[in-house]
Amino acid sequence: MSSTSSGERTQFPGLRRLKERRYLRLPTPPPPTPTASGDAGAPIRSSSLWRDAWYRYLRNRAAVIAGIAFLALLAYCVIWPIVSPYDPNQVDFSQANDSPSLAHPLGTDQFGRDLFTRTALGGRVSIGIGFAATLVILAIGVTYGAIAGFLGGFVDNALMRFLDALYGLPYLPFAIIILAIFGGGSFWTMVIALSIASWFTTARIVRGQIITLKENDYVRAAHAVGARWLRILARHLLPNTLGVLVIAVFLELPGVILGEAFLSFIGLGISPPDASWGSMAQDGYRAYRVAPHIIIVPSIAIAWLILCANFIADGLRDALDPRTRET
Amino acid sequence: MTRLIVRRVLWTIPVILLVILMTFLLMRQIEGNPFRTSERAIPASIQANLEAKFGLDDPWWKQYVRYVKGVATFDLGPSLVLRNRDVNDIVREHFPPSLELGALAMLFALVFGIPLGLLAALRANKWPDYTAMFVANVGFAVPSFLIATLLIYFFAVRWGDIFDIPTSGWTTWQSKILPTIALGLGPMAYFARLTRGSVLETLQQDYIRTARAKGLRRRRVVVVHTLRNSLIPVVTAAGPILGFLITGSFVIEQIFAIPGIGRYYVTAVTGRDYSVVMGLTVLLAMIVIVANMVVDILYGILDPRTREAR
Amino acid sequence: MSATPLLEVRDLATHFFTREGVVRAVDGVSFSVDRGRTLGLVGESGSGKSVTALSIIGLIPQPPARIVGGEVVFDGRDLTTLSERELEDVRGKRIAMIFQDPMTSLNPTLTIGTQLLETIRRHLHLPKREARRRAIELLDEVGLPNPEARLDDYPHRLSGGMRQRVMIAMAVSCEPDLLIADEPTTALDVTVQAQVLDLLDELRTQHDMAMIVITHDMGVIAEVADEVVVMYAGQIVEQAPVTELFARPEHPYTEALLGALPQLEDDTARTGRLTAIPGRPPDLLDPPEGCRFAARCPYANEFDGCATHMPALRELRPGHMVRSEHPTTERARRKEAAPA
Repeated sequence: MSSTSSGERTQFPGLRRLKERRYLRLPTPPPPTPTASGDAGAPIRSSSLWRDAWYRYLRNRAAVIAGIAFLALLAYCVIWPIVSPYDPNQVDFSQANDSPSLAHPLGTDQFGRDLFTRTALGGRVSIGIGFAATLVILAIGVTYGAIAGFLGGFVDNALMRFLDALYGLPYLPFAIIILAIFGGGSFWTMVIALSIASWFTTARIVRGQIITLKENDYVRAAHAVGARWLRILARHLLPNTLGVLVIAVFLELPGVILGEAFLSFIGLGISPPDASWGSMAQDGYRAYRVAPHIIIVPSIAIAWLILCANFIADGLRDALDPRTRET
Repeated sequence: MTRLIVRRVLWTIPVILLVILMTFLLMRQIEGNPFRTSERAIPASIQANLEAKFGLDDPWWKQYVRYVKGVATFDLGPSLVLRNRDVNDIVREHFPPSLELGALAMLFALVFGIPLGLLAALRANKWPDYTAMFVANVGFAVPSFLIATLLIYFFAVRWGDIFDIPTSGWTTWQSKILPTIALGLGPMAYFARLTRGSVLETLQQDYIRTARAKGLRRRRVVVVHTLRNSLIPVVTAAGPILGFLITGSFVIEQIFAIPGIGRYYVTAVTGRDYSVVMGLTVLLAMIVIVANMVVDILYGILDPRTREAR
Repeated sequence: MSATPLLEVRDLATHFFTREGVVRAVDGVSFSVDRGRTLGLVGESGSGKSVTALSIIGLIPQPPARIVGGEVVFDGRDLTTLSERELEDVRGKRIAMIFQDPMTSLNPTLTIGTQLLETIRRHLHLPKREARRRAIELLDEVGLPNPEARLDDYPHRLSGGMRQRVMIAMAVSCEPDLLIADEPTTALDVTVQAQVLDLLDELRTQHDMAMIVITHDMGVIAEVADEVVVMYAGQIVEQAPVTELFARPEHPYTEALLGALPQLEDDTARTGRLTAIPGRPPDLLDPPEGCRFAARCPYANEFDGCATHMPALRELRPGHMVRSEHPTTERARRKEAAPA
């Protein structure tokens, strides 16, 4: 259990608890499985940990379906635009606002562009921004949290106090400001805008993990027998934190994607004719009276992704921590 | 207990200062001129005058200090774009609709979300559970702009003659229905899922078994023992969500043409109206902070274990 | 002691229906408890003793588990046939139960007083003031200092031993006829354990309760039980009055359990090793056809059919039942009879 659970005065335990709840029941490292040669205190047999988790994951039906659906979506976004017979930017008013049909599985928008292709293309942008922003969040969060957790003491205290203050920054308004600084949305400006005010929880989680692991008995033992911190880091701390980070990716992804969608929708993010799910939704909104499917399509894509990410995150969390009991 | 509250309140001060500082520094990075009202460039002398008038020619830290003083006295300064209006006025005019929208959406989310989650948990893994969770998942994943659009489409376009629900503005109570639902559906789904998970977890607890072993009536076990404990995470979640509802409602406000601060914020940022942006950001940050503080206090009331001074 | 027993469990079977299969946690268990007497239910974890207790008052988690056979006759009524509402009337008032871990068994967000009073008011229908008075009496009876102040405390402010006393107070508050104590001392410090056992015994005599004490600790059995039932892998393997059991254990498992007790008075005290029983209990998803202890039994061999044929529970001596083909007395006799 992360050490932030009790005994720590923070500014926003409520907010923190809310977000951390999704990360709860972090896996504490299992005692080392005795190897054939009988060396006690051996590092975690990473292979068996991951293999076990993988099998547990596979037994969770919802998680498996979500995983497949997620990969299918990714494949669609990557592959389809390459093989599609349609030019996503070709305007053809004779085909405008067509409902889904055989020729256009998702219909066309008000400019006659094939939505099936545009959605895939938009997916590249939206999911790309999603992953990129998530990675940035992780990068900042892990660095910050690791430094705080590892160094401990005064540095840790100071960093955490500062982090508490940062929780007061409202997420979307700040994203808007950042976008305004860069003069509008493009891929990377969106990435920065969306990640800047979202890394706090990750930092705190990572710090908690590091602290818990640092105090872990056999890490102490390894240190006591002279193993250097780098070795301990690599063999003990990293494999365990990795699990949490993978979960973190799938927990942050929906928020970022939704953020991109909202910002693009009101015109601050990706703007037409560039396709992202948000900008397509904006297009669709303008034509909702005539052709509601135009806004429905990218929204369903977003919902699809969010649902998959949620179930995958749940599945991962249950797979990595077998103590979870839910009927 | 009061010590806890006082300490929390005191803590908000450095946070606000930090927020102001960061917003301030960021805003200064934005290129652009608030005084430019048309495509033509403004003569340099007029520009200089305007800057002097609004104190923009002072070094940044001086401006910062002046601003902080202003915030302390609840004076958020004048708007740079709308020359004869104060930020305070703007806030007074645009904040209430947003606040009301946020509160109504939150109420909707709680009133419908918690019972839904409870029902799902009590009938776990049976049909009521599956249906409830399906609804919750859909409401959670589908972006609110789609929900808003669909609501408008059906209630105004398709069924316009049956229902007489306005889809823009924030005046009559009917006009408040659709935006509330559109904004509140997501949080409702979230609360439903949260409640379900929490109730299920609580039901596994040993003290529930004890309560049943004592022969207490099922109703009492559910309401007094289970619900009370399960609601703790829901309450904790409610705070930040309220903050999010109020600060992130700009999409809904745009779609339903609600004159709230969300919408105004976007305009202000793109118009480089520094003082309005500053003022609104500070306001929004304060809302988030207050919401969190209330939640912390509530948490202390609900869970006696946390009341001890640590 | 003539009269019909207070509680009679006949052929109780409780199975868990899981995704991997059916776990036969309790598979044909029968015993009875007389008024005012203490039955000790002993066995290792997984033997089915807790499930048996929970099945008696119908507290097994119903989705995966279900009572699939047998009867639980309490004061003339078969509890397995009662509706949930009727069971609610029995629980707490006629049969009370206390659990292993007092830390988690009390609701952390309600005061001790609330939790105590709700039981009293539910079953005895006393007005608030009277109920409160009775609660204070009870807390005093279980040995809690300053009982009146305790009522307004939250569970986390009490120590483990005190919490268990509160649990006991709640259990006896409505004068039940039977108290089931599931590992009442396991989670407590050694010093507190003895106190709690004494308390239980005292209360039993004072309130004329019958008791079922569930434990894995033979020492506890020796202290409080009148009659002992030994369970293994969901079945009863031996049953006898307590002195008889300790003096002349018959089942190899019981022998091993007693052998695992540290003996202080023996000359082997500081030199001998504690005998651990090798092996593990069988998986109840797919229990073996024959004797379930056969795999770990030091006396089983390939000629006795133990691996294929389930030995029946038979009365070796009056009052002493054993489920084994190799009870101690018979082994001794065989040895004598065998050619040298």
